[in-house]
Amino acid sequence: MPWAELVQYVATGLLVGGVYALMSIGLALIFGVMRVVNFAQGDFMMLGMYLTYFYAVAGAIDPLLGAVLTIPPFFVLGWLVHRGLLARVTGGGDPQRQMDAQLILTLGLSLVITNAATMILTPTPRGIRTAYATRAFALGPVLLNQARSYAFAMALVLAVAVYVFLTRTDAGKALRAAADDPEAAAYQAIDVRAMHGLAFGTGIALVAAAGGLLAAYYPIEPNVAGNFIVLMFVAVVLGGLGSIPGAFVGGLVIGLVQSLTLLVLPFQLQNTGVFIAFLLVLYLRPQGLFGRRARTV
Amino acid sequence: MLTIDTLTVSYGGLRALAQVSLEVGEGEFVTIVGPNGSGKTTLLKAVSGTVPAEGGRVRYRGRDLGSLRASERAALGIAHVPEGRRVFPSLTVRENLDLGSYRRAARAGRAEALETVLALFPILKSRRAQLAGSLSGGEQQMLALGRGLMAQPELLLLDEPSQGLGPRIVEQIFETIDRIRRQRRLTILLVEQRVVEALELCDRGYVLETGRVVLDGPRQALLADARVQRAYLGA
Amino acid sequence: MRSRGWLAIAGVVVLGVALSLLLQERYHHRVLTLVFLWAAMGLSWNIISGYAGQISFGHQVFFGIGAYVTVLLVVKAGLTPWIGMAVAMAAAVLAAVLIGLPTFRLAGIYFGLATLAYPLIFRIVMDWLGYQEVAVPMVRDRPGWFMQFTDPRSFDLLALAVLAATLVLSRAIETSRLGYRLRAVKENEQAAEAMGVDAFRSKMAAHMLSAAPAAVVGAVYVHAILFIVTPEAVFGLLVISQTLVVSLVGGTGTLWGPLIGAAVMVPVSEVLDSTVGDRLPGIQGVVYGAALMLITLYAPEGLYWRVRQAWQARAARGALLSRGEIAAPAEAAAAAGPGATVLLDVRGVSKSFLGLQALADVSFEVREREILGVIGPNGAGKTTLFNVLNGFLIPDAGDVRLGGEIVTGLRPSALCRRGVGRTFQVVRTFPRLTVLENVMVGAFVRTGGVEPARGIARAALVQVGLADRAGALPAGLTTLDLRLMELARCLATSPRLVLLDEPLAGLSGDGVAVMIAVIRGVRARGATVVIIEHTLQALLRLADRLVVLDQGRRLADGAPEAVTREPAVIEAYLGQRWLARMGSPAC
Repeated sequence: MPWAELVQYVATGLLVGGVYALMSIGLALIFGVMRVVNFAQGDFMMLGMYLTYFYAVAGAIDPLLGAVLTIPPFFVLGWLVHRGLLARVTGGGDPQRQMDAQLILTLGLSLVITNAATMILTPTPRGIRTAYATRAFALGPVLLNQARSYAFAMALVLAVAVYVFLTRTDAGKALRAAADDPEAAAYQAIDVRAMHGLAFGTGIALVAAAGGLLAAYYPIEPNVAGNFIVLMFVAVVLGGLGSIPGAFVGGLVIGLVQSLTLLVLPFQLQNTGVFIAFLLVLYLRPQGLFGRRARTV
Repeated sequence: MLTIDTLTVSYGGLRALAQVSLEVGEGEFVTIVGPNGSGKTTLLKAVSGTVPAEGGRVRYRGRDLGSLRASERAALGIAHVPEGRRVFPSLTVRENLDLGSYRRAARAGRAEALETVLALFPILKSRRAQLAGSLSGGEQQMLALGRGLMAQPELLLLDEPSQGLGPRIVEQIFETIDRIRRQRRLTILLVEQRVVEALELCDRGYVLETGRVVLDGPRQALLADARVQRAYLGA
Repeated sequence: MRSRGWLAIAGVVVLGVALSLLLQERYHHRVLTLVFLWAAMGLSWNIISGYAGQISFGHQVFFGIGAYVTVLLVVKAGLTPWIGMAVAMAAAVLAAVLIGLPTFRLAGIYFGLATLAYPLIFRIVMDWLGYQEVAVPMVRDRPGWFMQFTDPRSFDLLALAVLAATLVLSRAIETSRLGYRLRAVKENEQAAEAMGVDAFRSKMAAHMLSAAPAAVVGAVYVHAILFIVTPEAVFGLLVISQTLVVSLVGGTGTLWGPLIGAAVMVPVSEVLDSTVGDRLPGIQGVVYGAALMLITLYAPEGLYWRVRQAWQARAARGALLSRGEIAAPAEAAAAAGPGATVLLDVRGVSKSFLGLQALADVSFEVREREILGVIGPNGAGKTTLFNVLNGFLIPDAGDVRLGGEIVTGLRPSALCRRGVGRTFQVVRTFPRLTVLENVMVGAFVRTGGVEPARGIARAALVQVGLADRAGALPAGLTTLDLRLMELARCLATSPRLVLLDEPLAGLSGDGVAVMIAVIRGVRARGATVVIIEHTLQALLRLADRLVVLDQGRRLADGAPEAVTREPAVIEAYLGQRWLARMGSPAC
C-alpha cells in the first residue's frame, strides 16, 4: 500500500481527532468532577454550531472566532442547567441510583434539545461558507484541508487554555481536588457544589466551542449530535473516565480509528471501527489508558 | 474557643456519640483518646461539619456552627487534617499545599506559609513536583499536616495522624506536632489511638468509650491512670 | 392474597377487550394498539432493568431483532410471521446470552455504556447487509395467515394478547424464587451473594427472559404499525426512549408501572403528534424528553410507587410493638460447650493490596460450636479476614478449610451454600423488601419453593425475636432490629459457621444483652460463631476464645482473660510506651 495514502489518512484522522479531543475534554471534565455521564453533551455541541452559524450570518464573524465567542454564553447556560436540574437529582443518597437518575435526566434533556431544535430551527441543513473550506495545504504528498487544519490548531489552543486553567489557577486546582476527594476538598474550604457548577459550565462551553470549530467544515442540522456523541463517549472511556489528558489522547485516537477504517470500509460504515474499539476497551481495559486510580487511603 | 455541648450523633444508623461535652480553650492542646469505635473520628467530623449533629451544639468562638457547611467552617479557620491523610492523589505536592491556603483569609499569607511548611518538612520540599498519590504513607501524612497548616488556621483538628504508620515515622510526626505547637501557640484538638504519645503532647485530655466521655483531666493525671487501659481492653 | 395479582391481570385483559370492542375510529384503535405494545415493551425492559436493576440503554436490540427476523423470513422464505415470531424469539434469546456474557462482567456505569453500543452495531450491520428498507409484502390471499388484518380490532387483540402474555411472565417471575433473587441482587449485590445468590446466573436468566417478549413486540409492531423496517426505526433512539419513558413514568420494578406509564404517555404523545405534529415535527421527542426529566426530578421511583408510598405511610402508623419472645433453643445447656472437631481451619493466609500487607500468614482453628472473638486495633485486618473467609477476597497465599474441605477461592454464594453465613458491619438490607422477604432470600438457598421459604423465614424470625416485625420495611427498624433481621436472614441459610461483623457496635446496654442472648441461642442450636468486635467488655462475657490480630498478623490466641493481659496485646492497643509505664498487671 502506498505510504503516501496511509500518511494522508493518518493526517486527516489527526486533524479531525483534534476537534474530537476538544469535545471529549468537556465530557471528561464533567464526569471527572461530578461523576455524571452527560448524554446531552452532543446536543450542546449542536447548539454551539448553530450559534456560530448565526454569528457568521448576522455579524460576518469567521467560525473560528465565532467558536471562541460561544464560550461565555454556553458557560452560563451550563452553569444554569447544573443549578436548575442536575443539582436537584440526588437519587435518595445512593450513589448508584444517583448516577442512573442523572443519566436518565441528561437523556431526557438530550431528547428535548434535539427535538425542540428540529421544531424551531427546522431540519434543513445549513453550512457556513468560508474561503478556506475548499482549499488545502500541501505538505509534501499530503493534502491538509485548510478548514480542518485551522480547526485543529484552534482546538489545540483551547485545550492548552484548559490545561493552564486546571494547573495554574486556584479554581482549576480546586476543581481537580473536588474530583479527587470531595470530602477532603471541603476541608480546604472548597465549595464542592460550586465546583460542580463550574465543571459543568466549562464542559458545556468547551463542547460548544468544538461545535463552532466543526461548523467551519461540517453541515449543521439538529440531529448532528447523534454522529458525535458515541465518538465522545468512546474517546473518554478509552482515555479513562475522568482523565482529561486521557480524553484528549482518546479523541485523537478515535479520529485516527475513524479515518483508518475508511481504508477498508465505505463512508457510511466509518464508525464501525470506533464501535469495535469501544467494546474492546470496555472488555479488555475498562479503566482506559489513564484511568483514575483508587482513592488513596 | 471550641465548646461541644451534649453532642449526640448518629452515623450510618449507629449511635456514635451520646451527650458528649468538652471544651478547648484558646491556645490549648487537647487530646482525645479511646479505642476504635469509640466515636473519636465522628467527633471531629461533627466539628468540621461533614457529619450532622442529632442533638447538642458545637460552638466556635461563641458561634453555633450548626447551620454552616463543611467548606464554610473551613473558611472560618478550622483546619481538619482527616483520618487516613486524604491528600489529593492526582495533584502534585506543591498543588496540594497551595490548596491548603485556598480559603480567602489565607491567600495573602500563602508564600510565607509555604516557606514555613517546607522548612518544617524538608522532604516535601524535595518532592514538591511529585504526584501526591505516589508518596509513602509517612510522606503523605506530612503533606496532609502541611496542607492543614497552609490554611494558617486558628483551630487545628488532627485525626489519628499515626494511623497505619510505622513507629519511627510516628515519632517524627509527633515531634513535628510538638514543634508546631511550640512555634505558634495554635489551638489543637488531637484524636489518637496511641495513648502515651498523644497524652504527652497535650495540656488536657479526654477518654472516649462507645460514644461517651469516661475520663478526663490534665495530662499527668491521665498518664498515671490505669483506668485508661480498661477503656481499651475491657479489663 | 397471591391470587389478587392474577385477578388484576385478568381484569386488565377484560378491560382491554372491552375498549377494543367499544372504540370505533380507526385512529383510536391505533392508539390502543400502541398502548398495549409499549406497555409490553416496558414490561420486558422491566424484567432486566427493573427487577434485576441492570439499567440497559440498548434493550431495543431485541425489538429490532424481532422485527427484522420476522420480516426477513416472510420476504426470503415466505414463512408466516406466526412461526417467524418464534424463530425471532429464539434469536433474541441467543443474542441476550451473547450480549450478557461479556457485559455483565462490567460494573455500574460501564454496563450502561456498553448496552448503548449494541443497537448501534446492529444498525450498521443491517445497513451493510443492504437491509436499509425492508417492506412487509402485501398478501392478498389469506392475509390473516401473514398477520395482515383489515380490521384494526384484530391488531388490538393481538397486541393485547402479547401484553397479557408478558404480564403473566412478569407475574410468574415476581412470585418465584428468581424474582426474590433478582430483587436481592438489585438492592445489594454483595449481600445477595453472601446469601447464596449467584448474581451472574440470575442476571443472565433475567436478560434472556426479557429478550423474548421484546422480540415479539417488535414483530407485531412491524405488522401493525410500521410496515417498512428500517434500522433507525427499530434500533433507534426513539424506541429505547419510549421504553424508558413508559417504564420510568409508571414505575420500575412492578407490573403496574409500565401499564400506567403506557396508558398515560402513549395517548398524550400520539394526540400531540396528530394535532400539531405537522407544524411541530419532533413534538413527540420533546414530550418524552420532558417526561423523563420531570419524573427524574420529582418522582424518580415512578407514579406507581409514589402513590403507594403515600398510601402506605398513612396505614403504617401502628403502635410500637413489644419485642417478641426469643424462642428458647430445644436442647438448652447440653450442647452449649464447644465440641472437639475442628470446623474452620485457617492456614497461612496472606493478602496484600496496593503494596499494603493486610494479612500476613494468619493461622488459627475454630472448633465446632465454639464462639470465637477476633479482636485487634484499627487496621489490623479483621474485616479483610472475614472477606477472605466469606469469599469476597481471594488470598495471595494460604488455605481455608471448612469441615476438612478446601474452600479458598469459592465465590460467596457457593460458600453460603456450603454453610458459611455472614452479617456486615453496616447492615446491608434489601430496602424495598419487607423484613420477611429479606429473610426469605436467605431461605432460598435451602429450598426452591416460595411457600417453604416463607416457612423457614418465619422460623428464623421467631428465633431472633422479630416475628411481629415480619411485614415491616427495613427503613422503620431500629439498629438492633436491623441487626437481628440480618442475623435471621443469615440463619435462614442454615449455616454451620456464622461470621458476625461488629454485631454489638453502637448498641445500648439492653441491646447488647439481647444480642448476646440471641448469639448464645445460635450456638446452642449447633452453629459455630466467629465475631469481630471492638466492644471488648461485652465480648469478654460471650467468647470462649479470642484471637488477636495486629497489622495483619496473629498476635495472640487463647482465653479472653489471659489474652487481654498479654503484654504484646496491651502494646498493640495502647502503644509500647504505655506498656513500659504501666507494666502488665499481675495475674
